[in-house]
Amino acid sequence: MADLVLENLTIKYGSVTAVDNLNIHVASGEFLTLLGPSGCGKSTSLFAVAGLNHATSGTIRVGDRVLFDGNPNNTVPPEKRNIGLVFQSYALWPHKTVAENLAFPLTLRKIGRAERDERIKEALGLVEMLPYADRYPFELSGGQQQRVALARALVYRPPLLLLDEPLSNLDAKLRERARVWLRELQERLNVTTIYVTHDQAEALAVSDRIAVMSMGRMRQLGTPREIYERPADSFVADFIGSSNFFDGTMIENGTDKARIRLADGSEIVTPPGAAGKDGSVVVAIRPEKIELSSETGPNTMRVSIDQRTYLGSVWQYAVRSGPIEFRIQTPAELKEDSILVRIPQGHCAVFPDKPGAN
Amino acid sequence: MTDISHPGTAGRGIDRSRAIYWGVAALTTILVFGPITPIIFQAFLDKPLYDDTAVVTLGNFSRLFSEPGMAGVFFNTLYFGALTMIVAQVFGAVMAVLVGRTNLPGRKWLGEIFIWPLFVSNLVIAFGWFTMYGPSGFMTLAAKTYLGGAPWNLYSVTGMGIVAGLSQAPLTYLMCLAAVTKADPLLEDAARSTGAGPFRALFSVTIPMIRPAIIYSAVLNFVVGIEMLAIPLLFGGPSGIQTVTTFLYNAGINAAVRPEYGIVGAAAVILLIVVAFLVWLQGFLMKGAGRFVTVRGKASRPSTLDLGAWRWPAFLFVFAFAFLTIISIFGGIFMRSAVSFLTPLIPFWKVLTTANFEHVLGSANYVRSIVNSVLVATIGAAIGTFFILVIALVARRSDFRHSRALEYIALFPRSLPGIIAGLGFFYAVIWLPGADVIRGTIAVLILAFMIRYIPVGFGAIAPALAQVGEELDRGARISGADWWTTVTRIIVPILKPALFSCYALLFIHFFKEYVTAAFLYQPGSEIIGTTMLQLVAQGDNGPVSALATIQVVITAAFVIIARRVMGAKIYG
Repeated sequence: MADLVLENLTIKYGSVTAVDNLNIHVASGEFLTLLGPSGCGKSTSLFAVAGLNHATSGTIRVGDRVLFDGNPNNTVPPEKRNIGLVFQSYALWPHKTVAENLAFPLTLRKIGRAERDERIKEALGLVEMLPYADRYPFELSGGQQQRVALARALVYRPPLLLLDEPLSNLDAKLRERARVWLRELQERLNVTTIYVTHDQAEALAVSDRIAVMSMGRMRQLGTPREIYERPADSFVADFIGSSNFFDGTMIENGTDKARIRLADGSEIVTPPGAAGKDGSVVVAIRPEKIELSSETGPNTMRVSIDQRTYLGSVWQYAVRSGPIEFRIQTPAELKEDSILVRIPQGHCAVFPDKPGAN
Repeated sequence: MTDISHPGTAGRGIDRSRAIYWGVAALTTILVFGPITPIIFQAFLDKPLYDDTAVVTLGNFSRLFSEPGMAGVFFNTLYFGALTMIVAQVFGAVMAVLVGRTNLPGRKWLGEIFIWPLFVSNLVIAFGWFTMYGPSGFMTLAAKTYLGGAPWNLYSVTGMGIVAGLSQAPLTYLMCLAAVTKADPLLEDAARSTGAGPFRALFSVTIPMIRPAIIYSAVLNFVVGIEMLAIPLLFGGPSGIQTVTTFLYNAGINAAVRPEYGIVGAAAVILLIVVAFLVWLQGFLMKGAGRFVTVRGKASRPSTLDLGAWRWPAFLFVFAFAFLTIISIFGGIFMRSAVSFLTPLIPFWKVLTTANFEHVLGSANYVRSIVNSVLVATIGAAIGTFFILVIALVARRSDFRHSRALEYIALFPRSLPGIIAGLGFFYAVIWLPGADVIRGTIAVLILAFMIRYIPVGFGAIAPALAQVGEELDRGARISGADWWTTVTRIIVPILKPALFSCYALLFIHFFKEYVTAAFLYQPGSEIIGTTMLQLVAQGDNGPVSALATIQVVITAAFVIIARRVMGAKIYG
């Protein structure tokens, strides 16, 4: 297995910069997810690693092999990169059986018949598709095709596995099972893996680390916990899970805490953060982190309940305090029109601007 | 798991994919421009191309325009082309709507009949019209005898234009049929739900959506009209009416007697420019046709309109069209081949004879022309399919830097009238060093036909290629296959049905071709079309109809086999 290094990777199409100065070091055996909304450049980056897109500048290195050294005329063609890639549409060759799909890359590598059959068996065994070796792709369900696609990408034992939204064509229930299974398989094979998805729940569930991307740039790189609990900016806070954003003004910004005046006139204490030039800030807090309170105190506010939505595992309430509207989530069913809530200081994050502004 | 070292198969030293890109691009460019270049040179030289003392001049053009009657020739050509287009569009579009979207009785078999003419050359069709509607044709005599007069005169530009239009209507029919049957019925349903009656919905929603098909086939038929040889030759010849193609044909054929290289070159260049402009215009008019595209992946059955009391009158109209312009034409050829003298005045069985077929089959030259036609079509279509396939793969499925340019060049022969392709190859084999070895062989015919019909084959392969998802290529590349391995092992097997269709279309086109061969054949390399041209000139109508019958029968047999056995899609 090998590590993957992207240094200053930039991909431009004419005047459009699809990927801007991406720097990631994926450790050997690591499972790294590129996460972001569509058009953020995550698939473009993935295909540049595969050699199916042409990078403009920067470096791509797998282990000690340089695949791209910044010279667009000197890239290693995809067929010489020895990388496994699973496509969103699976891209199984319709005129070949499952076994023949797996045999093709091995034949290209001039692997003898006996060993080839052995490897096909092994790879199909890994994805539990051995009984389907002689089927054609159209005779398989979506989930089965996805497993075969994975087997085909693994059968030649590449040091690096790339997955382009491989679960997005499966139905919700199957997707949840497939991601657990996928992660187990990856850990067992210890293959360095880059996973592209726009589904944040999937990213949080399977990744060692997540790189959140937006508009061609990497916004944050960290473990799922870091990404969720300490978002680097309001875009990440908004895109991963969901957050309430309060407009406010910085009154005092200390080393361990800050005081902020909100639009309804109340003051709350938050962790320190950067403010805009005019002292304006936004405070992000996740709906499920807001607590119900029985007594007034620091960081509490009285809110009226505008709307109640039953979500199954929790209730979500749309509440307001003067001009501030936000959502809270709690398992408790609240009958009151007006309640007291507390914004826990430790779960707040302070940013200079709202998502979308940056 | 252990790491396998880098795949060793892909690329050995030099990059073979790139060698293929450049090789195909160079070959295509030479083959397409090879025949055009000498014509253009000749148009601006005062002596034959191969004469070293020739100097550049514009004299050919001034001579061409000062030639008496030349203005008339150009006018005839344009009028003939325009009339062909109008007649073909009106009948073709009406037939398409009636057959495609109404409950016309017998629409299934009528629809089959409408595409027959597309399988045979317009030389055969023209001869059929001559046999039936010519001055002493079967229908003409019958009308004179039983109705007291035949109000048509094919030996006029108007007459020729109507005949050409009626015989081109099937092309319009085919294109409009595809458009009316593929139009999303949901759109009509939407019009119905807003309160439009069924006819209103058809006319307000569906008919406008077939506009691209009508525009496209209109320009196509105009081009077909101005580059058509058979009808002007058969009907214009006796009454001294010339079009640009018959002028080129006569001047070219008689070149040995009257050296008119310069004028021929100049006229050819003008025809080339006009046709190239029309093809460009076609592309220009089709811009933005995307808003009419309603073809959905989901197969939907278009609803049919109930004609009500008009069902049978409509049937009579459609049947009369099919009978008078198609069935009687083919029937006339078959009948003529089996009798010594075709007339409604003498009972058929009294003049029955096998002499026409004996005449054809007894002559080594005629038999050889049949054999050559079959060889050219069988071998040529195979070579052509392979060549066009590689062009399509490089143009559409490679990272070749000049793939778009290659496609433009490959599709340029759409603007190349058959008579000019023939003339150009005729010059080229004399002019290009080393090309002389194929002069007068069927190899030069195969080459010329292949170039001329690249766009036809490309049209059969490209849409199928577009259906094959790009991930399949990408999956193969990442698995370790280089471009050539990817296309040969992954793409081509998936394309197999389209390749059969391409082969079948090329076979039919090569088998019926005659114009392009007119200047290229020599004793030993004659084909059915050129032999028919010779026999028509001599007025040997019996053997002509026997040859035409043989051509139709072989074509019909091939079409049946291609559809049944190879599953080829030929015209729907």
